[in-house]
Amino acid sequence: MSTKEMTLPVVGMTCASCVAHVERALNNLGGVRKAVVSLGAAKATVEYDPERIGPTQMFAAVAEIGYEVGSAQATLNVSGMTCASCVAHVEGALAELAGVRRAVVNLALNTAKVEYVPTLVTVAQMKRAIRDVGYEAAETVEGVSAMDREREARQGEIRRQGRYLMFATPVALAVMAGTFYEYLPPALGQIIPGWLAEKWLLGLLTTPIVFGPGRQFFVNSLRGLRHGVTDMNLLYATGIGAAYFIAVINTIWPDAGFGGSGATFFESAALLTWFIVLGRFLEALTRGRTSEAIRKLMSLQPKIARVVRGGNEVAIPADEVLVEDLVQVRPGERIPVDGIVKEGYSAVDESMLTGESLPLEKRAGDTVIGGTMNRTGAFTFIATRVGAETALAQIIKLVEDAQASKAPIQKLADWVAGHFILGVHLLAILVFVFWFFIGYHLFFDPGTSFILSPARLSEIGVFGFSLLLSVTVLIISCPCAVGLATPSAIMAGTGKAAEHGVLFKNAEAVENASKLQMIVFDKTGTLSRGEASVTDLVIAGAQPVHLHAGQRSPVAGSARPPADPSITENRQAAIVLQWAAIAEKNSEHPLGEAIVRGAKERGLEVPDAESFESIPGHGVEARVDGREVLLGNRKLMAARGVDIAGLLAKAEELERDGKTVMFVAVDSAAAGFIAVADTLKEHSVEAIRTLHDLGIETAMITGDNRRTAEAIARQVGIDRVLAEVLPQDKAEEVKKLQAAGKRVAMVGDGVNDAPALAQADVGMAIGSGTDVAKETGHVILIKDDLRDVVVAIEVAKATMRKVKENLFWAFIYNTLGIPLGAGLFYPLFRVIVSPELAAALMAISSLTVTFNTLFLRGFVPSLRRGAQATSEPRAPRAPVFASSPAIMPGKR
Amino acid sequence: MDSDRRIGLTSAAIYSAISITASASFFVAATVAGEYTTVARVSGAVWVLLLSFIVTMPLVTSAVKRRMKV
Repeated sequence: MSTKEMTLPVVGMTCASCVAHVERALNNLGGVRKAVVSLGAAKATVEYDPERIGPTQMFAAVAEIGYEVGSAQATLNVSGMTCASCVAHVEGALAELAGVRRAVVNLALNTAKVEYVPTLVTVAQMKRAIRDVGYEAAETVEGVSAMDREREARQGEIRRQGRYLMFATPVALAVMAGTFYEYLPPALGQIIPGWLAEKWLLGLLTTPIVFGPGRQFFVNSLRGLRHGVTDMNLLYATGIGAAYFIAVINTIWPDAGFGGSGATFFESAALLTWFIVLGRFLEALTRGRTSEAIRKLMSLQPKIARVVRGGNEVAIPADEVLVEDLVQVRPGERIPVDGIVKEGYSAVDESMLTGESLPLEKRAGDTVIGGTMNRTGAFTFIATRVGAETALAQIIKLVEDAQASKAPIQKLADWVAGHFILGVHLLAILVFVFWFFIGYHLFFDPGTSFILSPARLSEIGVFGFSLLLSVTVLIISCPCAVGLATPSAIMAGTGKAAEHGVLFKNAEAVENASKLQMIVFDKTGTLSRGEASVTDLVIAGAQPVHLHAGQRSPVAGSARPPADPSITENRQAAIVLQWAAIAEKNSEHPLGEAIVRGAKERGLEVPDAESFESIPGHGVEARVDGREVLLGNRKLMAARGVDIAGLLAKAEELERDGKTVMFVAVDSAAAGFIAVADTLKEHSVEAIRTLHDLGIETAMITGDNRRTAEAIARQVGIDRVLAEVLPQDKAEEVKKLQAAGKRVAMVGDGVNDAPALAQADVGMAIGSGTDVAKETGHVILIKDDLRDVVVAIEVAKATMRKVKENLFWAFIYNTLGIPLGAGLFYPLFRVIVSPELAAALMAISSLTVTFNTLFLRGFVPSLRRGAQATSEPRAPRAPVFASSPAIMPGKR
Repeated sequence: MDSDRRIGLTSAAIYSAISITASASFFVAATVAGEYTTVARVSGAVWVLLLSFIVTMPLVTSAVKRRMKV
């Protein structure tokens, strides 16, 4: 019995007992002769019989007892893939390597993402395995150089196919002109020499096309066949090879029985090669455009940073900046890494990362994000996150991961396409056998011609005719378009979402988001700001607040005594708010803090009160400018004999809306009241309305009491309220909605609502900023803007619509093309599809799908249409009151 | 390496046998029919052999791999 030895990295062991557990688990496996675990090296060395056990069973045994076999990830650039079956071959080749735990290949990106055990398999082995099945592989590196390499590889492919095309185009045209010489218009016939129609010359011209640009198909298909895999290249190779072979035989030995000199299809071989090369060239050109978003993100990373070292400013590569380096940025420069502004002032355009259209003011203490554009001023900042830790690097990784993942619909398409090739070859045998034994004798007409061609096939024999139809089936059935349909759209869609600050973690999230029926919003911090704010201020109209003449007005900058009869209600309201704020200045109660904040936000000065006393459960009492100010509830007012009867109706009305009312009295006379509530976030109402327009039901989940919750829900237009739900029960509520048959999204804080986000079909973490790596949820909304929920859903719907359109175009083409190619309609019309026309149709099918996807580039979410960016800088997270209930001086 | 070689040889024996049988059947059928030239019969048999190889090779190889690795 032969034995092998391997070393597994084991994660999670902390003591000798762990070592014993792992050793026992491995030694108990049938086929393992000896397992020795080292705690220090965190490795298990296993001697085993490869006939009886493989690494997978060992990984499972280690995982079963609570440890993990450590793995690494590598991303490989794979070139030469053209269709879904190539994806299956590369994935299969990688999966067969011992030590590869997971391999996901993305056709649109030309990448293979591999999770592997570094002690068992190397990247070099993976590359070799990929080459063995007929493709080329290179390891990618992160950041800018990855972009460079990707671009280089794509441009290399464009150049290669372009060279082939430059050679094949004139030669194929000459072959076509020679073949159809007798059908050419007289004008052309005078220009083109007659000797071009000679069969042997057509053969001479076709040979370098078949073995030059066409060589790639033969080489790749042979490589694959050696390892038992079949792909598109094989379809091309058999098609081109068969047409060329018959043409050569019929030219050299016209009586050999292959159809004679009238069946020399050199033009088929030449044009077939030309069309396929043209298709590959155009595909290489257009495919790069669907991944434009990721390239845009990568190109944001500046290459040079100017840091202060040893008191001098030095320019160094951006990836060499260290945490805590002092970095200088001038106007018009990109910020190289993430950091905190130390000194200076500027406006920074973060639109490229967050989708935020307005430049943000940055001053000392504010954070800056690497890759964003410094607009106006110069500043110095301290680097806090560098290299792969920067927000930009995290976002790029997230988008790349999403683009490399597979949507459920794609898995089905891949399976179909992967099995299609074999099915097509089987069909080609059946078509050949049918036309050879039955069809030719029943239906063949010497007047037969190709579609869109004047040439007649009168001399073709039974073998030539059957072979022609068999080859045409092989070519016309090529499922390239099926393989491209989903990944290209997912790539374009996730990229488009990223441009708007919406990051999908994987393709499944895109698909799920497109099917949502209900969205549950967390209330606090998601729909509402999560902190109390002053919403209403009502003054006692019959009892205006009067200050004694000559007394200093507490209102900032007021030169006029408020006792002036011309004083406006707004002015009186400001005075009441200011007095309340002064009284509450030393209070630590959240409602008091809201009043102080409300006064300051409106530019009112809030000096200290002369005296202050808190009355627990009731309110506060303070002395301001020599007058007694009372601020509190009804009980306080009643206890102090203040008449608030005139204010009660309005107060009760606001309380029904879930607001908290605090009465203000000055010198025992009611001055008015202030209503405080958790206010809605900007754009909440607009977002909910748009979701309703999209036919999506909305719900709000909160721990608040039902009355307050319903008041908020009414304001925002939410359909359903889930009130008095404890944080730990939110996931259960989402589960109940799912059990009722709804496809549910949960929108909430990525950290606090993690279980509910995970339970939902789509979890959307909102307002995470650019620290995206630690967020839970399937979709991350960088900005704190509820409209991005709409953006996410609209992009997802547009993407899946594009996927379905693409699949329709790909499948309708194959559905119609195969019977046409197999000669199903021949008995009726006496025409067949030529191999070159089949190649042209196949190329058009792939291009239709790619071009259809490119339309996604122009997609603009409904709430972003018409948005005008201005160059005015804006303070970060500036409070906007315009859309929340404004402070209105009420009237009795 | 030994295992891979054994898988390769076993698979090759099986898919070759299937393909040759299919090709030979075609040749016999065309000969029995009696209306085909030798070139048509031989070339047809070669085409069937080629396509049969392409169809059976991956199917048989993966089936043998699965069976031998269990």
